[in-house]
Amino acid sequence: MASSSSSGLTFKLHPLVILNISDHYTRIKAQSQPPPTTSAANDAVSPPPPPRVFGCVIGVQRGRTVEIFNSFELLYDPSTHTLDRAFLEKKQELYKKVFPHFYVLGWYSTGSDAQESDMHIHKALMDINESPVYVLLNPSINHAQKDLPITIYESELHVIDGIPQLIFVQSSYIIETVEAERISVDHVAHLKPSDGGSAATQLAAHLTGIHSAIKMLNSRIRVLHHYLLAMQKGDLPCQNSLLRQVSSLLRRLPAIESEKFQDDFLMEYNDTLLITYLAMFTNCSSTMNEMVDKFNTAYDRHSRRGGRSAFI
Amino acid sequence: MNSVATLVAQIQGLSGSTSDVNQLHTILKQFEDLFKSESTRLAPLLTELNPSIHSLGYLYILEACSSAPISKEQASELVLSVARFIDLSAAEQIRLAPDKFISVCKRFKDQIMLLEDPMRGVAPMLTALRKLQYSSVQLTTLHPDFLLLCLLAKCYKTGLSILEDDIFEVDQPRDFFLYCYYGGMICIGQKKFSKALELLHNVVTAPMSVLNAIAIEAYKKYILVSLIHLGQFSISFPKYTSSVAQRNLKNFSQPYLELVNSYCTGKISELESFVQANNEKFESDKNLGLVKQVVSSMYKRNIQRLTQTYLTLSLQDIAHTVQLNSAKEAEMHVLQMIQDGEIYATINQKDGMVRFLEDPEQYKTCEMIERIDSSIQRMMVLSRKLTDMGEQLSCDPLYLGKVGRERQRFDFDDFDTVPSKFTI
Repeated sequence: MASSSSSGLTFKLHPLVILNISDHYTRIKAQSQPPPTTSAANDAVSPPPPPRVFGCVIGVQRGRTVEIFNSFELLYDPSTHTLDRAFLEKKQELYKKVFPHFYVLGWYSTGSDAQESDMHIHKALMDINESPVYVLLNPSINHAQKDLPITIYESELHVIDGIPQLIFVQSSYIIETVEAERISVDHVAHLKPSDGGSAATQLAAHLTGIHSAIKMLNSRIRVLHHYLLAMQKGDLPCQNSLLRQVSSLLRRLPAIESEKFQDDFLMEYNDTLLITYLAMFTNCSSTMNEMVDKFNTAYDRHSRRGGRSAFI
Repeated sequence: MNSVATLVAQIQGLSGSTSDVNQLHTILKQFEDLFKSESTRLAPLLTELNPSIHSLGYLYILEACSSAPISKEQASELVLSVARFIDLSAAEQIRLAPDKFISVCKRFKDQIMLLEDPMRGVAPMLTALRKLQYSSVQLTTLHPDFLLLCLLAKCYKTGLSILEDDIFEVDQPRDFFLYCYYGGMICIGQKKFSKALELLHNVVTAPMSVLNAIAIEAYKKYILVSLIHLGQFSISFPKYTSSVAQRNLKNFSQPYLELVNSYCTGKISELESFVQANNEKFESDKNLGLVKQVVSSMYKRNIQRLTQTYLTLSLQDIAHTVQLNSAKEAEMHVLQMIQDGEIYATINQKDGMVRFLEDPEQYKTCEMIERIDSSIQRMMVLSRKLTDMGEQLSCDPLYLGKVGRERQRFDFDDFDTVPSKFTI
């Protein structure tokens, strides 16, 4: 089904579309009920196929460039294999009011590959846009894959077995970002799932980076050391070039060795330790405070609580 | 006594490996009444047993011997034999029958007190304590007895060595109260006032359902040590104090609280007159020595207050402000304080001027790094312990019951923004 398109259109995809599709899919997947386990404990039962989500993509077409800006969700009717038409038109009207330049450019779905049934939907949309695009997101996570799991299909009329048929052909695309999108994507990319504060995560990320760098340095030095020891014992043949390199490296150290540096270094070290100490203190005090509260609630017969807190 | 003889043979035979010893333990438990009835005649059996190998059997027989009433002449013999036993016994065997061991040691302590020679008991008690503990964080019943002996024998340093350990497990609350109280007194004797303050604070704030005399006495000493060490005393209790203590302790220490008030005025003369007036009360509580230390600490407070106002001051002026008798006395006081590290100053003897300095610690040295690092490590361990305790408490059914009952009946979502009816 897929071969490279020959229409010559360049597609530009905005990250907002990708995030919308991914969010839609995740939501539907999280809300779907897990199937009831059969009492026969049939191990051959495969996990249910991931749900497919559908929606519309909108954007602007200027000459040979198709720029896909936004998307919205649509309901898929599995009996008639069509998308909800009335809703689509209503949504289109609403979007027209806010973004007068945007047109419905096509539709999106999730899955690993384009399917035959998709052609129905595609043809149904052809009355809104003569040549709609089909954006397909592959939700299965493949760590080996480096590219985005998004493919854009166009429809082309090919003659197969003497019958002219519409088939999907793949097109290439590039990602286009507006400044606001770039900042938000950057923010989302660096967000850690544990705590939300951006300052805290930045510091933690910075320190983790330094920590891993030092760890790597330490392991490399250890390898060298081990190697030199083996050479000294005679297990390995002496390699003079390597020894020369090591000795030149060692002669470059220590990088700074002066009284003033030592002074400043120790002062800064002490300051950082003091701040860590203060943080530990505060942490420990708060843990202790909570524990004392719990203890008082559990064991002190006459402890008076402060009364109900006021309604906000 | 055939049964007794066979028992001795069994003890000698079954003291090899741990499984044998466990078997021996069950056998010995069965023969408890035999021991009690034959207590007077068991003493010669002890000679046949070796305390280091047959510790468990020896312990049982010794306990039976010592529980019988003992005359004064036998007392010192008993003391000697118990001390020897404690020294030589095997710790693992003793831990199988801790209560017997504890009762032997308590009798030992009683006999020592009768003989009025506490010094003899200090070392054996220490060994006994260490053998009974299975880890240094455990508080045994022997701890307060040991500290009492140290106090009576005035060997404070030995007592201090025990007090260095952090205690995390307590069996009997009475042990804990006594341990902290005696420990506080030992620290006061060694002039380690901060540790004394900590220990006495523990007694005062420990959970208690009824007021006990130890807490009352400890509270009085706590007030005095707080005045000596910190120069102030806050009347409010921390929130982890039991409500029993919060309501009742103040009633029993009225003169001390008034002492606090007169101390806070900062006038030596008032303080001294107050102490004179209440001499008998302090004397009856045996706190007169501490009270005298409080008075002398007043001078220190006043001199410290001077450091905040003046950069240099003459010794004559210091004596005048602090109401000391002469410049010489002032010099002695200031010198002592500099030595103790309570103030930083230099005395210029030529013109009798004292120059007050800042704390010279620059926080730049490697030793300071090590100190802070070790403090951080200790705090991490403590924090982990506290989190574990907090989690344990959260699973406690007592706690869950109370929390469930007192939960807000209205959840935030249930709150209707438009109330359907008003209740006034």
